[in-house]
Amino acid sequence: MASLRVRRLLGPGRRWFSETVPGAPSPPASPLYPPVVASITAKSKAAKSRRLQRFNQRVHAAATVEEKLRLYGKLQRPKYTVYPQTFALNADRWYRSFTRTVLVPGMPPRAAAAKPPVVAAGATPEAGGAPEPAVKAPAAEEAPGTAETPGAAKTQEPAAGAAPQIDIGELRSLACDALLQESFYQNKKRPFLYRDQDHTPGPFLTQLVSTLAASLSGRNPLLAASSLDLNPEVNYYWHHGTEVVVHGHRKGRVDPVRFQIDDNPHLQIRVPKQLPEVVPLESDLGDVPVIDHKPSKLPLFKKQYENKVFIGSKVADPCCYGHTQFHLLPDKLKRERFIRERLEDQIEVVYRSNGIASLFAWTAAQAMYQGFWSEADVTRPFVSQAVVTDGKYFAFFCYQLNTLALTAETIKNNTRKNICWGTDSKPLYDVVEDGNVKGFNDEVLLQLVRFLLNRPKEL
Amino acid sequence: MVEPRPVREQVELDTVTFAERLHYVPGLARPRFPPWQRGWHDPWHSPGPRCEEMPLYKERGCYICHQGVRMLEGVRQAQWLTKTKLVEGLPPAVQGIVDNPALGLQELEERAKHMVSHARLWDTAEAAPKREKYCPVLFENLIHVRGLSGILMNSVTPIPPVASKEEILATKEHVLETFYPIAPTIDLQEVNVYKELNDTGFRDGYPYSHPHTLFFLESANVRTDRFRPEQLRAKMLMFAFGNALAKARVLHGNDPKVLEQPVVVQSIGTDGQLFQFMVFQLNTTDLVSNDGVKNLVWIDSDQNLYERAQCVPEIKKGVVTKPVGISGFQPDTFKKFLALYLHGTV
Repeated sequence: MASLRVRRLLGPGRRWFSETVPGAPSPPASPLYPPVVASITAKSKAAKSRRLQRFNQRVHAAATVEEKLRLYGKLQRPKYTVYPQTFALNADRWYRSFTRTVLVPGMPPRAAAAKPPVVAAGATPEAGGAPEPAVKAPAAEEAPGTAETPGAAKTQEPAAGAAPQIDIGELRSLACDALLQESFYQNKKRPFLYRDQDHTPGPFLTQLVSTLAASLSGRNPLLAASSLDLNPEVNYYWHHGTEVVVHGHRKGRVDPVRFQIDDNPHLQIRVPKQLPEVVPLESDLGDVPVIDHKPSKLPLFKKQYENKVFIGSKVADPCCYGHTQFHLLPDKLKRERFIRERLEDQIEVVYRSNGIASLFAWTAAQAMYQGFWSEADVTRPFVSQAVVTDGKYFAFFCYQLNTLALTAETIKNNTRKNICWGTDSKPLYDVVEDGNVKGFNDEVLLQLVRFLLNRPKEL
Repeated sequence: MVEPRPVREQVELDTVTFAERLHYVPGLARPRFPPWQRGWHDPWHSPGPRCEEMPLYKERGCYICHQGVRMLEGVRQAQWLTKTKLVEGLPPAVQGIVDNPALGLQELEERAKHMVSHARLWDTAEAAPKREKYCPVLFENLIHVRGLSGILMNSVTPIPPVASKEEILATKEHVLETFYPIAPTIDLQEVNVYKELNDTGFRDGYPYSHPHTLFFLESANVRTDRFRPEQLRAKMLMFAFGNALAKARVLHGNDPKVLEQPVVVQSIGTDGQLFQFMVFQLNTTDLVSNDGVKNLVWIDSDQNLYERAQCVPEIKKGVVTKPVGISGFQPDTFKKFLALYLHGTV
């Protein structure tokens, strides 16, 4: 065979000399031999990497997003099911390490132009504990993100006719009406055993959000075009880290660690336009916790089932970006139970782990709906918000997804981190008595209103 | 199994039974033993008080109508029970809101198509959502356009009466149609133990105290579990009447009389595709006699919101015959829905 090839090269009349013959044609542009690459079917590391590359090329070359998602989740293997609402101790540290998230306490400083001021009777934001977002007088020349000195109380100046002011009294009456309707005025039977949350706080949350969204949709055109989902399903599947298969016919092989989040928020608002980024894509606001143990020590358990990526509706829906999610904590995770078992510090952990896991799943699924995945990292940050509540205490979270590249190969050169801003849980009211709501907290309502009014700068 | 021949009970002489012999003996009579008594009251094994001994027992029977009752004669039966006269089509007040161009119902048509697509096509991770899922989602989306949610919509102010005084008085001549030999109470369960209760569902002082619209969703997955349109309309009528009567009793007292301020309650029923609209006006609470002023109801039945919702494209011989999406969207149905919502506020 080799000699035949030599003869073909020589051709008629050419001599086998080492120096270049003048007048010989230049070497052909395309390589004459096919590239020497590893085999596809061999049991070797090179073959495995070649198979992975072929799979990545197949996903890259997929024509539609549905096809991409189908190929991404085609291979089913045992994976850890991550539950956003969990009683596991210190779950939020583990979840942050799985999702490469930095937790920043407090709310992100918002741009001035997007915030209409609020008419409140001399109320000033306190900056203690969890600092409140800075509400500034709308002046376009003020640079967004100028940090306020913590502890400095700022009075809100009314806008010089720029934007209509929010009537906090009217919104407060809407919220109180919803609360009283569900907990006092309606004749309800006794709640079913361990179903207290479905009896009063669930309907109250639905009613509150629908009425607030409706009344604020005149002010925020994004809300008017939004889609409200009741009890939707949000799923996301991803790989992070590697492990060695422990037993079975695949024993000894190095496998990626697979995770799946299956979440059911109580309520969710999806919008057709994306929320603006809070900080630039490459910002570094803290450290991601590193945990040396296997995920099963959390405790986390493996199961093999369909690898779903879903934001709440299919890819064809024009409302493909997320705005706000509302989560209701179940009876199993109520405050009294933690206090009774002397785990008071885990109360906040529950809220944080729910916020981080749910928002990561939602933003990552939104990014996948736009065609990004772990090999094709996001080119713009995806921002979503969430409110976690148990009916009385509200905690607010804002998540910015900067990177999807969490697999073992792609995370090596990845400097980006996802960021989650979160507050502690605060009560919305103290108690409901005789048709009156006592101790209504305007700050919490204000934060909720700010969340609902969040919109891209062009609107 | 053949039934044993009835044995004539012998009362003239003492029968000789095999009770002392402790086993069956052919030829001797079967003994009758007294029923076994526990001797003490075991709450887990006691039969409970008999019907006649229950504290709420009444001699006069009561016919119960609940959400599972399917009327045999449909709307006619419900009309007889509630002493109502039927008028086809929506009342002119509501029709005026439908035709009013100033309310901007045109722009909402695009959003309505969106909401139907979301409910019927996109809302699930599987191929097609089940009716139990898409029916309430569609309804919630339609409500979300204006922002209230709930199965019963209440309002702060009552809906003004739809029919004029002349029309109300004209119902005196109307005769309720009966369908002998069927009694109108045929589908209703007759009970002797009941409690008469006038409950609107809310306590006093509730700011939204006037019932405005009732919504009925037939969202069972199996077709036989769902109500037929006629039965759905009858159910809507019965429950609108019930809410109106409870409110009237609260406002004007328990005595049966003709109301100077008629109470109006609306009702919308759907199975996800067909919509039934109804406006009910309660003119009188005197339901003992067959004549006198009657109540009025306007019904607009069987309005399709869309013809088909195709989740996966139907392909025959390599050619797409039915593409994915909603086809045959009727904006009029959506406009009527909104008009009923806005009735009383506009």
